[in-house]
Amino acid sequence: MRRNVAIIGCGQTKHSSKRRDVNLAEMVSEAVYNALEDAQVSPRDVDAFVVGNMQGFGGIAQPEQWLGDSIGAPGKSVIRIATGGTTGGSVGQGAYYTVASGLHDVAVAVAWEKHSDSKEAGATTGLLHVGLGNFFHAASYGLSLKNLVATSAVGAAAGVAVYQAMFYMYRSGCSIEHFDMVAAKARRNAAKNKYAHLQWPGCTQEDIAKTEMVVYPFRYGHICPASDGASAIVVAEENLARKKARQPAWFKGLAAYSDEENQLQSENFGGVGVLDPSEQKGCWMSATKAYEMAGIKDPKKEIDIAEVYQPFPSQELIFAERLGLFDEGTAWMALEKGETDIDGRMPLDPSGGVNATNAIGSTALQRILECALQIMGKAEEHQVPRKVHNAVAHGWGGVTSYITVTVLGDSPGR
Amino acid sequence: MKSKSEIVEVKALPFAAGFNWSTGFQMQRFIQELANRKILGAKCPECGYTYVPPRSRCGKCYTKIGEENLINLSGKGTLVGYTTAYVKLDGQGNFQDLEEPGIIGAIKLENADSTIFMPLEGIKPRDVTEGLKVEVQWREETKGELADIRCFKPT
Ligand SMILES: [Zn+2]
Repeated sequence: MRRNVAIIGCGQTKHSSKRRDVNLAEMVSEAVYNALEDAQVSPRDVDAFVVGNMQGFGGIAQPEQWLGDSIGAPGKSVIRIATGGTTGGSVGQGAYYTVASGLHDVAVAVAWEKHSDSKEAGATTGLLHVGLGNFFHAASYGLSLKNLVATSAVGAAAGVAVYQAMFYMYRSGCSIEHFDMVAAKARRNAAKNKYAHLQWPGCTQEDIAKTEMVVYPFRYGHICPASDGASAIVVAEENLARKKARQPAWFKGLAAYSDEENQLQSENFGGVGVLDPSEQKGCWMSATKAYEMAGIKDPKKEIDIAEVYQPFPSQELIFAERLGLFDEGTAWMALEKGETDIDGRMPLDPSGGVNATNAIGSTALQRILECALQIMGKAEEHQVPRKVHNAVAHGWGGVTSYITVTVLGDSPGR
Repeated sequence: MKSKSEIVEVKALPFAAGFNWSTGFQMQRFIQELANRKILGAKCPECGYTYVPPRSRCGKCYTKIGEENLINLSGKGTLVGYTTAYVKLDGQGNFQDLEEPGIIGAIKLENADSTIFMPLEGIKPRDVTEGLKVEVQWREETKGELADIRCFKPT
């Protein structure tokens, strides 16, 4: 039988384009020790570490071997998980499994990215690594590597997300102005989150609309930054959780599914696969399963806030629908009415989300961490103005269709 | 013989990845001080374990190690392990015979607890033994680079 498990402490680094003052191990250690301090747990009390960043990023194949000493891991169980953009979500879920299974009582999940260790701008070096590793098989479908890099990998996830956004616009009837609104909201919310990267107090839809078009339908102001940073959570079994935290954030349900990879923007050279990259069936499946485990029957009513993985603003709308928070094709209408604002009926990404802060390996763990902060009442300036009973954290990655969904609550629910 | 339809060959990648890793403040000081022919170690303020090269968190007792915990090491030490190489890689994936065998030693510097790996010169392989007392040899002009430490020699 699985045990009840809760998050009892959260730690992050401040996110920025360049953390040149610390090496990778030191940056990751900052997040871990901040989380341990928040949980009032000594490194000696930790039994296991689940760690991760995006595979191929930073040019270090086994970073956990290097940083173990710096995060208090000597003599402890260490597992590294890498599932692309979802890495942090899988790392958080890995820590849950570690404790829920009864194998360990206290586990730390930590995830990070340090883009500035790459010479090329933004995430290019890392994405080329991952892109090539993942796309090599495409060569056997008759696409030369040069074309592949030009069409898929360069432009990074944007190269994938533009097609996804176009499909969504077509089937939902939303327009580019709605992407302006989501991006403006993300920057406004981020301004209230002291750890966030792109902070723009009072940012408006018009501010974003003024930024240059990069690749249709995305303007410069729509696109997430490449951040250096790390985030960590301390996960504990029920007795310790109740002793250590006034309000633990309980894991109530979780799942991870993928539909068939549509990594070449759904142009699938094998002759099978997903045609609409905004379909994201894996998200619907993960959400359904996670809500079932959490005992949530109507997410529209029972979920109080969501942290949606949205490096591109279209994705906040697409995935909020797939998470069952809005009817198909209607999230942009709720956005127009302000329902997704920090003080709205269904706040989406009160932290600013991935659109404002993107340390890739860490981002999906940050979604879980941010949901925990909202439940624990520790989100400070970006705390939503009502009691949060249930929150849902989403991760998108793999290459482009692996999903993690984690439901946290203010009680274990069973 | 394979036909073209059975294989896809990749001869070169269409990009070159570059990295510029930040070293962290302890290693930065370590590298800079090499210019002054100084080897810095980091002594844990809690348990006393001394790391060289220095680091900022003790792996033994989890204590934070600051810049104030950097100490000067003498550059003298003891050989605790070694190997002798007779070949090197030629950069094309092939072995090449060395003209003279090269000794690589694990050296524990005085007042340090961790070891560093360095070439050992000025001694024949058959004369090398664990416990040998050795001393750092700097390159002629030290510039604050890792290559400033050329090798070690018996004292
Ligand atoms: Zn120590």
